[in-house]
Amino acid sequence: MNEYPATQATAVSTIEQQTPPRKRKVKGGALRWWGEVGWKHVFALLFIAYCLLPLLYVLSASLNPGGTLTGSNDLFREFSLQNYAGLSGTNFWSWFWRSMYVSGVTSIGTVLMAASAAYAFSRFRFKGRRGGLAALMIIQMFPQMLAFVAIFLLLLGLREVFPFIGLGEPFGLIAVYLGGALGANTFLMYGFFNTIPQELDEAAKIDGATHAQVFWGIIMRLVSPILAVVALLSFVSSYGEFILARIVLQRPENYTLAVGLYEWASDERNAPWSLFAAGAVLAAIPIILLFMFLQKYIVSGLTAGGVKG
Amino acid sequence: MRKSLIALAAGVSVVLTACGGGTADTNETPEPTASETTEATESPSGEATSEAPADGGTLTIWADETRVAAFQQLGEMFGEESGVTLDVVQKPTGDIGQDFIAQAPTGQGPDMIVTAHDGLGQLVENGVVAPIDFASKADLFNPVAVQAFTLEGNVYGVPYAMENIALVRNNELVQDTPATFDELIAQGKAVEGAEFPIIIQQGPSGDAYHLYPIQTSFGAPVFVTDENGDYTTELGMEGENGTKFAEYIQKLGKDGVLSADLGGDQAKQAFLDGKSPYMITGPWWTSEFVDAGMDISVLPVPSAGGETAAPFVGVQGVYVSSYSENALPANQFVDFLSTKEAQDVLFEQGGRVPALIESAEAVDDELLQGFNEAGAEGQPMPVIPEMAAVWEFWGGTEVAIINGTSPDAAAAWQTMNDNIKAKF
Amino acid sequence: MNDIKSQATTPQLSHARDLSRPGFYVKLALMALVNAFGVYGILASYAQEQWAILGVLVVTLIAADYIYFSKRAIPAKYLFPGLVFLIVYQLFVMGMTAYVAFTNYGDGHNDSKPAAVRQISLTSEVQGGESFPLTVIDRGGELGFAVVVDGEARFGTEEEALAPLDGATVENDRVVAVEDGEILGMPQIVERQEEVLGLRVPVSDEPEDGSLRTRNGTTATTSLPALKYDEATDTFTNAEGKLFRANSDQGVFVADDGEELSPGWRVVVGFDNFTQMFTDSRISSLFASSLGWTFAFAILSVFTTFALGLFLAVIFNDPRVKGRVIYRALFILPYAFPGFLAALVWRGMLNRQFGFVNQVLLDGNAINWLGDGNLAKLSIIMVNLWLGFPYMFLVCTGALQSIPGELTEAGMIDGAGPIKRFFNVTLPILMVSVAPLLIASFAFNFNNFSLIYMLTGGGPNYPGAPILVGETDILISMVYAISFEGGNRQYGLASALSIIIFVVVGFISWLGFRQTRKLEEIM
Repeated sequence: MNEYPATQATAVSTIEQQTPPRKRKVKGGALRWWGEVGWKHVFALLFIAYCLLPLLYVLSASLNPGGTLTGSNDLFREFSLQNYAGLSGTNFWSWFWRSMYVSGVTSIGTVLMAASAAYAFSRFRFKGRRGGLAALMIIQMFPQMLAFVAIFLLLLGLREVFPFIGLGEPFGLIAVYLGGALGANTFLMYGFFNTIPQELDEAAKIDGATHAQVFWGIIMRLVSPILAVVALLSFVSSYGEFILARIVLQRPENYTLAVGLYEWASDERNAPWSLFAAGAVLAAIPIILLFMFLQKYIVSGLTAGGVKG
Repeated sequence: MRKSLIALAAGVSVVLTACGGGTADTNETPEPTASETTEATESPSGEATSEAPADGGTLTIWADETRVAAFQQLGEMFGEESGVTLDVVQKPTGDIGQDFIAQAPTGQGPDMIVTAHDGLGQLVENGVVAPIDFASKADLFNPVAVQAFTLEGNVYGVPYAMENIALVRNNELVQDTPATFDELIAQGKAVEGAEFPIIIQQGPSGDAYHLYPIQTSFGAPVFVTDENGDYTTELGMEGENGTKFAEYIQKLGKDGVLSADLGGDQAKQAFLDGKSPYMITGPWWTSEFVDAGMDISVLPVPSAGGETAAPFVGVQGVYVSSYSENALPANQFVDFLSTKEAQDVLFEQGGRVPALIESAEAVDDELLQGFNEAGAEGQPMPVIPEMAAVWEFWGGTEVAIINGTSPDAAAAWQTMNDNIKAKF
Repeated sequence: MNDIKSQATTPQLSHARDLSRPGFYVKLALMALVNAFGVYGILASYAQEQWAILGVLVVTLIAADYIYFSKRAIPAKYLFPGLVFLIVYQLFVMGMTAYVAFTNYGDGHNDSKPAAVRQISLTSEVQGGESFPLTVIDRGGELGFAVVVDGEARFGTEEEALAPLDGATVENDRVVAVEDGEILGMPQIVERQEEVLGLRVPVSDEPEDGSLRTRNGTTATTSLPALKYDEATDTFTNAEGKLFRANSDQGVFVADDGEELSPGWRVVVGFDNFTQMFTDSRISSLFASSLGWTFAFAILSVFTTFALGLFLAVIFNDPRVKGRVIYRALFILPYAFPGFLAALVWRGMLNRQFGFVNQVLLDGNAINWLGDGNLAKLSIIMVNLWLGFPYMFLVCTGALQSIPGELTEAGMIDGAGPIKRFFNVTLPILMVSVAPLLIASFAFNFNNFSLIYMLTGGGPNYPGAPILVGETDILISMVYAISFEGGNRQYGLASALSIIIFVVVGFISWLGFRQTRKLEEIM
């Protein structure tokens, strides 16, 4: 199954020989620019409107000291930063930093575990490989409806033995999240790893590299786009998860952001909507920043040059 | 081989850091592994126990965000008397009952919970709450509040606050209120600039709670009550009176007075924006109306069907867990809650009418007194476990009648009654 | 292919015990830590008598040492850490769910039988009207209650009914000093609360006069047990002699006339929960319509989010588009907000009379987005598209990087147009890595309970139906509606039904997964 990258690598090199390196600058006037690039800007702007519209309600509510979330289409009727200031009187910032910690550690752990699993599946042939892959995928589909009972009982028992991964501990929550580290992420990486020519490994091994050196020295560097994607996906999913988190983290002092915000919104009548909206806006910022930061790795362009390295 | 272990190493090192300093900011010491197994409470309480060994130990209580401060204050007051530490754990409102039922059997649940009375049936069905001694104090409390916490002869919780809906009037638009609901609608329609004569929140799955005053004014309570005022399982909304009510809301729906589109969010905003002279709502929003600078009054809902419009009364109270290993101090705490001192604190922090008559009489707040008067004729929300099914059928049928999905109101109402009866 | 086969026949040995490499010592240090951690855990779980944890720890530790010091088992070295977490946290949930599916766990059957017996005894005590200030007295280790009845101090114990107490000092109707025995202070009462709370002192020798008991240690009230439990026959008997027998098939005490005592307890009920789905006519009638919609929803959700995500990923993978860094960041915004918040906002925006979509975009048209069955389905797909495309966009953006630029440029030289190039070259390569994700996404949406629940709650409901299921209910939300019908939570039934659904989805996914293998082989 790894024939593709091999043949491709040779094909690519022949092409390169035939065609001199080109620096193709877009010429041919505005019309061509509109046809190839310009429309994408228009599309992007329209599409951003679709993305942002519901979020404007949240932003508007966050700037309005009273009022409701969706009660009126008359947005931005008031502009006050009172709610944002008000957050400092709550546990919000403690939740915020705990979320950073929990999601950060979860994300690093997930990347490492999923990548090493994907490496095993992609580069070694062992008994039960195919079955293992299928099982990994199917296990993730198991209904989680009783998770809240099971996780509670499990962490209750663990607390007696390892207090730091027991009930109420952020690390207990991280461990629960890492239980889902293999799964969809492994598949994403597995597919990506498969597109990296096996010849690279072989060559390195002939030079005396161990499998660990191949993994850390060659593979992991070549797959940085997908590592960044998985890191982000896992960060976001643990960042927004509140069902398990509220079982594990029993007290508001220990909450993550998602649980804290959920709690604010959970009492329909007494919900502090404006505070909640301000919290949600601030909570989104780290995700955006993280994505901006990771973007350059995600689109770093796994060039053929790199593969041939 | 060496680096393939780094994944594991990373895990281990994080474990160690988490162990060392990760929890320092939470100011929480993990329970010692060989902890006293008698301690039914959670790890932070274990810590508190060791600090005050000579005292009555620690009681854990779950309360939602709006009540945590009040109970912390009560805990300090109670602690001074008894030496018992009250550990108030904040939980989301909707989770308190469900998590309690799930966690109590593990022995790790709280000793007490603070929640509304309408979950009583389910709590008792699951055997997680214990009866309390209340006979000697019952007379000091509002009978509706006591009734709310009574099931099959046992009192299961100390009531402390009551809330119900009433008619809220925007005094800038109208100043006098007629005696019947039809006149009120006519008056509301005549108000210049008002989009709605009255706002009653509904939503896609209906809201029988907010329509209940109108329903009772037709003499069609949800269940028939016996001579003690306790609910029986006989449906009171079946029959002629119920049908009249169904036809009435059908008419209101056709006239545009009631609309399924008017959910809680929309209703609140419309009233805030002065789009209606009246709204049927509870004390949870009136404080926001006042904060927004509105001049409002709270009145009983005028009758639509000739009889008194009686809203449901919701009662907040404190239950003792039947799994508590510290039940004796817990019972002392609920005894303490029935004192005027404690009920006054709960009123100051919570802003709802106290259940203790003496405290309620001392309340000096026109709006709350208005709610109190409107609720005087009210009945507590029924607590039987089947009530959840009743709510669903009830609201769903009402909204189908209002928005015309069920054109034959009488038939739809009868189907609803049949479906509900099938649950018993 | 050849090299793979040769690899399989002559397994590569690792350098697991190569002492000349510095990495070995790093590993040694790490394994020392792991072992220390494991041994600590084993000792701690032994001390705490947590046998299950002890067993898992022993097995895990042995496995870890074998795997990391063996020269073979190279794949295991990479899989082990993730698998440990997977097994501990996911398999436990699976086991729990599978077990519960065979029980009647749920409302009314929340705990074990002893708990039920205790609770029934506790709640069936008929409370008498009288209460007395109480003094708890320890006489030679045995506890008794002293109260003042009609101005006279009386004392009794579990065995002996209340009798006059000589030599007692009474203040304010409370016994404050006695000659025989020791009065317990509150700290002592609390310390011995189990004894104190369990004590029933007969008021007289006549059982129907009831007995005294206390709940707070300071007042005693009279009470009369309405039900008596007999351990030998495992029955409760009430005052009229009516017998309630323990029914261990249903986990409840039941009389001959069918009257049951509450609460019951958890028992294993075998396959009852699994068969209920097929015997309950209300379910089977709604099952077919829900099944069709569930498939439509899951497939359309995957297709729309993937198509949109891929489209965005491809067109903004073009370095000529300036500002795409910002565009991309804005595209993932829907992903950065909590899902339940988004559903709330969308519900408001789709409101018929007041929502943004009707009022502003559609100029006041009263389109019943959430109230009409078909429109509600459309709304769900649209909202799920909004929620789900950033994920696909991210995945596709990442996966696109694995496609060497030369390959597409090669297509360019062949004279293929951009669209043809995309479908002939880019998409097939991309599918290799994303096809399993599409299957996973299908399975996720198949069970996407929270979206349905938050957006429409399954509604619009079928008017007048005996069970509250609506047109937009997918299978899993129907399972919830049925199992938690009207607030009566039947976890056993819900588990069983969701396991049935899992088997269906798992099978479909497995079929799909086999197709992806073919996809890889084509490559």
